[in-house]
Amino acid sequence: MTATPFSTFELLLLQSRDQADSAALLLLCWVLTHRGTVGEAERAHLVALTGAFRHGHDLAPVLEVAASQDLSAIQLAAEVLQKELHGESARAFLRLAITLATDGDEPTLANHHVLRFLADLLGVAPAEFAALYASQAGRRLAEPDDPSQRAYWRRREGRAQDTGQEGASRGHHEETAEAADDRASRRAERAEARRQAREAREEAKRQRQAARREAKTRRREEREAARQRKQAQREAERRRRQAQREARRHERERAGERQRHDDARQREEAHRQQEQRRRHEQAHRRPEPPPDPRRRSALSVLGLEPGASRSEIRKAYRRLAQAHHPDRFHHEGEAIVASASRRFQRIRRAYDFLMKVS
Amino acid sequence: MRDLYQRLRITPEAEAAEIAAAIERCQHTALKADAATVLQAEWRRAEYDALHDTLSDIGRLRARLGLTHAPYWRAGPADDFSLPPGPPGSRFEEWMQRLNRAARAHNRWRRLRLGWWLATLWLATLAGGVALGHFVLP
Repeated sequence: MTATPFSTFELLLLQSRDQADSAALLLLCWVLTHRGTVGEAERAHLVALTGAFRHGHDLAPVLEVAASQDLSAIQLAAEVLQKELHGESARAFLRLAITLATDGDEPTLANHHVLRFLADLLGVAPAEFAALYASQAGRRLAEPDDPSQRAYWRRREGRAQDTGQEGASRGHHEETAEAADDRASRRAERAEARRQAREAREEAKRQRQAARREAKTRRREEREAARQRKQAQREAERRRRQAQREARRHERERAGERQRHDDARQREEAHRQQEQRRRHEQAHRRPEPPPDPRRRSALSVLGLEPGASRSEIRKAYRRLAQAHHPDRFHHEGEAIVASASRRFQRIRRAYDFLMKVS
Repeated sequence: MRDLYQRLRITPEAEAAEIAAAIERCQHTALKADAATVLQAEWRRAEYDALHDTLSDIGRLRARLGLTHAPYWRAGPADDFSLPPGPPGSRFEEWMQRLNRAARAHNRWRRLRLGWWLATLWLATLAGGVALGHFVLP
């Protein structure tokens, strides 16, 4: 029973015996869904290609995730692959993807872009990828066509028609329209459904994030208010004590120096005014844009406001480093130690950066 | 590929009338001709939209993974489909954090359960002892 539900693909990754293979499988399914309809033959082809994979779970849920175009799952898979595949294994994966996308003829336009995305993801340079593609697909990697141009459609639809016969071509168009009508409408429906699903997902995500952000800012404001209250109390206390001391001193010195008394009063007044001005300034300084976004993000890693002093930074670093030191999580398992050490690294990097610039 | 919707300043969900108006407004001759060809024919638009969706997805993924300046993207559809970098932080990290949280909750629950068991056992022993003292031994 957990408070945080995991998505289908995350659960699959948890069950998987080899996360890299599961991630690769999802991305291959993604390539497959961009080829058009996924039938029995395509599925068999995919199973045959991924015979050596060691993930050890079913293919169907992965195909479902890929068909729903769940971007966050695809992003997670891409990150896993980016971490796990290097050199030869990356090239082997790209070979699989190319085989799956081409399968005897030119890949679809979508797959042209998907393949290029995968090449960039795994850090394979264009020249190398083109060579890989040529050796795997048996043809040169062509530039993808551009359907936003009139020439593309003229090329595609004008193959059968002569340039002179306007009427005939119109008739042909008409006929094509009839034939393509239900295909187009089906495609449009699918696109619409996909778009709606994505919008709903993103809306939900935005709302969640907004709620979290709001809670965070509220907490920070409360903390800030408490801090200011405390500071004000301290200030008042200090002033009261100073006033008492002053009064006692005056008691003693009442005899002679009225002049000095006035002086002291004035000085105190000036001091108070200065104090007030300073606090006023402090209150107004926060909204103005901080000088450097890197510095600001480093400060936010340490949980500080922009404009924190060196000693504050050091104090925050010591506190956080102690709280997140990986040795503290030694008994809680490897995954927790790993994540703690990542957090620790981040804190240290932020601290090093801040010490360097300030 | 160009993003015709963006260049015509309309959304991809625009109605046919909206598109016609936008094309009418457009000053750029070549773009006008292309948009009229692609967007005003239902079947061409459906196909264009499918690819448009895919490219938007890829643009979003690239933005989140920091791949907006990778060679293949820069050379191709980068101008029209690059999105501003998304919220920072990777899905993987976030997933790991959630896993940790779940693992902690699970551990705590188990510890709690163990405590309950021990407490129950202890109470049962106590009650048994008391009962033995009261009823069995005279």
